[in-house]
Amino acid sequence: MNRDEIGELAAAYALGGLEGEELARFEALLEAGDAEALRALRECGDTLVGLAAAAPEPPPAGVKAALLERIAAAPATRPAAPARPLPRRRPRALWPVVLSGAMAAGLAAVVVGWSVSSTYEKRLDALARDAEQLRAELRAQQTVIAILRDPATQVVALTGLPPAPAARARMMWHAQAGGVFVATGLPAPPEGKAYQLWAIAGTNAPVSAGVFTVDASGTGSLAVRPLPGVSTVNAFAVTLEPAGGLPAPSGDMYLLGKS
Amino acid sequence: MSPLAPGSESSAALIAAIAAGDRDAFGRFYDLTAPMAFGLIRRVLRDPEAAAEVLQEVFWQVWQDAARYDPTRGSPEAWLVTRAKTRAIDRLRSVRRRDRTFVAPVDESVAQRREEPAENPAVVAEDRSLVQNALAQLPEPQRRVIELAFFEGLTQSEIATRLGEPLGTVKTRARLGLERLRGALGAERLSAT
Repeated sequence: MNRDEIGELAAAYALGGLEGEELARFEALLEAGDAEALRALRECGDTLVGLAAAAPEPPPAGVKAALLERIAAAPATRPAAPARPLPRRRPRALWPVVLSGAMAAGLAAVVVGWSVSSTYEKRLDALARDAEQLRAELRAQQTVIAILRDPATQVVALTGLPPAPAARARMMWHAQAGGVFVATGLPAPPEGKAYQLWAIAGTNAPVSAGVFTVDASGTGSLAVRPLPGVSTVNAFAVTLEPAGGLPAPSGDMYLLGKS
Repeated sequence: MSPLAPGSESSAALIAAIAAGDRDAFGRFYDLTAPMAFGLIRRVLRDPEAAAEVLQEVFWQVWQDAARYDPTRGSPEAWLVTRAKTRAIDRLRSVRRRDRTFVAPVDESVAQRREEPAENPAVVAEDRSLVQNALAQLPEPQRRVIELAFFEGLTQSEIATRLGEPLGTVKTRARLGLERLRGALGAERLSAT
């Protein structure tokens, strides 16, 4: 595929008009981390941001307050704390249920007629979003499995340092695919703080691999994407940092493991 | 990174904090990006109440899905713009579908107050001079393809049918149009600073 073709696919994808086989083809390129496709998509995305940002409009009063209220009222729907949480396990059997649900809803809408169409539209939209979410989770799971299976994956054990001597962690790291990190025995971070994982290669400055927190049992996990410019990692470390993380470590080191 | 935003670095940090459940970060991200998102939603969907509902839905998704934001695919702003555009188009389509098969719309206020995008894109964009300026620098055929795709949510084959042009032509126009638009928006910003 030449550059113009990728550019066309990226433009159509960013504009939301790509469909069918071409959509599948471009999504496969993105999944595979094709640098040209990702670059073209970022460029198109930035252009559309420019277009949108050129005509801002003050949002109506009340929307922000309504959102914050909704968030406060539904903390349980919040995904677990890690920045890139490992996908929640879902029984495989849910797939046919979701699909047959969507088909039944579609069929019923036709049979009953469109007088109740708006009800079904909402349900179909919700089912479509569920299916999209399941697909995303499945892709994430497949990435994790691929990392675990690949012989090139490094397994690094991290041990607890003085702030948490009983803490332990494992990093399964693959330079091209990213990694899976699991830690146990960490104390709950204080309010406004989170743990940050660092990859250290040679004498280079540590590179952030993401931010995570731990649950009540002291267990936390993080799915780590490939880190640009980092191939062989000599060590992984975890420090306590302000929630959201920092570009360079500043806090106490809780875990360290050399590969 | 977003070409627009000196704030693009902090917006990535905000998304990471939102993913970790930080409500303050969510508030800051909203303040930073909601005007852009709302301008876009209103461009697609001119009914103010419907637009406000879509805005709320879009940011609710931001809160729920922040952990799935993938920086390799673009800036947080681009991620947001895609969502805002998609939800606004979904809403526009559902209003239109309901109208075509009208029996008794559940939400009459939406059906009655909705405004179709005007046929003449220049009129629609009249009060949005920067967009107008940037879009106006495109040759008419390229501008039409981008508007039909981005503001009206047509797929490329629908655009080809609507314009009576071959699909390949539509594809090329979309790509060239975005390339030229990038240049135009860049020039606007340079002249603005």
